[in-house]
Amino acid sequence: MKNPNLILISFLALLMTACIKDDFVDDKVDPLLRIISAIDTIEINTTYQFESKYLNNVGNEEDVDVIWSSSDPSIIEISANGLAFAKTEGQAIISVSLGNDTSSLMDSAEVNVGDNTIKIKQFSMGTIRTTSSYKLEGDFELKEQENGLNLSFADNYSASTALPGLFVYFSNNKNSIANAFEIGSVEVFNGAHSYELVGVGFSDYKYIVYFCKPFNVKVGDGEL
Amino acid sequence: MKQIYLTVFFLVLSIATASAGGPWPQKKGHGYFKLSEWWTIFDQHYTDSGQIDPNVTSGVFNTSFYAEYGITNRFTTIVNVPLLSRNLINNLRSETTNEIIVAGDAINTIGDIDVGLKYGITKRGATIPIAVSLILGIPTGTENGGSQQNLNTGDGEFNQILRIDAGRGFNLGSYSAYLSAYTAINNRSNNYSEEFRYGIEFGLGTFNKKLWTSTKINVVESFKNGATAETITSTSLFANNTEYSSITLEANYYLTKHIGISASIAGAFRGEIIAAAPSYSLGVFYDMK
Repeated sequence: MKNPNLILISFLALLMTACIKDDFVDDKVDPLLRIISAIDTIEINTTYQFESKYLNNVGNEEDVDVIWSSSDPSIIEISANGLAFAKTEGQAIISVSLGNDTSSLMDSAEVNVGDNTIKIKQFSMGTIRTTSSYKLEGDFELKEQENGLNLSFADNYSASTALPGLFVYFSNNKNSIANAFEIGSVEVFNGAHSYELVGVGFSDYKYIVYFCKPFNVKVGDGEL
Repeated sequence: MKQIYLTVFFLVLSIATASAGGPWPQKKGHGYFKLSEWWTIFDQHYTDSGQIDPNVTSGVFNTSFYAEYGITNRFTTIVNVPLLSRNLINNLRSETTNEIIVAGDAINTIGDIDVGLKYGITKRGATIPIAVSLILGIPTGTENGGSQQNLNTGDGEFNQILRIDAGRGFNLGSYSAYLSAYTAINNRSNNYSEEFRYGIEFGLGTFNKKLWTSTKINVVESFKNGATAETITSTSLFANNTEYSSITLEANYYLTKHIGISASIAGAFRGEIIAAAPSYSLGVFYDMK
């Protein structure tokens, strides 16, 4: 009371703390280049369009120039834009690499040439684990289906019921849900259950991540 | 010793119901009025296993008016009105690109109002005064506010706290002192778990009773009989079963016979689903005695 300036300064200091500021998340990841075409065999004398995906240093998809190559052009010939032509029966390794620098980023796939084109029905399995103090555990399977994906969790799945707004996502960054695919809010906390997913490809994402969405708290993850 | 102390604690999703402590009702026609600012800013919280995890920085700021008035020598009315309650959450930015991943947000509304009545069971001057209080929490604040529905200035539920206080004033050398304890039941609605509360407070008056300092321990134990995210289907934003043990250090200084300033710091040293950071309070009071 005797020093109104001190009171005013204290009040202003308090007002400053009541402003929205910035928190930072360490979301740096290694860039990745991958072939997303799942093909086992190309029918002889037909073409097949290969596709790749580049994920930058925060796991976001980015358009980049790539170079396609074939280990044996006499079996499979591939153009600069990834269009392959199956010339004779046999096997070749199709590779993609970054075209704009000398980094070692590349991906490759073994591809056969045969009587019929055979696509690979993709499947993966893994385990989710907690990265927090909240319980989260269980095994999962991800299957490609006719119209999308099926993500199913086994009987040993268990998650904490204490968190408000627990959501599950596909993401290319374990520490961030920026540009992630939101699978939905978690409604089953124990036991087997599954999600039918449309609008998402098998190779689009690398991780399953669990976040408390309203408070941006990461709970756990699993690698696809 | 007649001051009633107010503790408001941030409970991740809600502002706890204010509670008036001490077994000493106001005399008839006497009162105690306080305008205060209470705030906490936290970037970590106690999880359901009692461990501490990080979260995006959040803050709660309450500008509150608190009053108690003696209707009779035994009945005292109590009201706590958070006139302005601000809840904010920071932006979440990428350390790599500096882009905003999730934008921050804030809401500014009135908070949950508490009204109550305290009754002195024992006569004034009793060796061990005992008083009971009924405090009603009214959900005048905002629940699930902001664009992400993650901001709250109230918990959206009516609750009733039935509380009993006992204590004793005494001299400690040349100083005046008091010791009091309480136990309470908080009956909550809207699928929240009931709570058992208890605590103890020690106060010391120095400088001719101009300065009163106190230390309080408050404990909240959840009955864990309400809904969880698993059992409630109406909303996915549901936190319940909050528990904590906290310590509060408070000082009240009389500038004049009636007017004084108060300051306090509080923090949970054990908790579940609660902010793991200290809270602070500054206020001005008028003691109408």
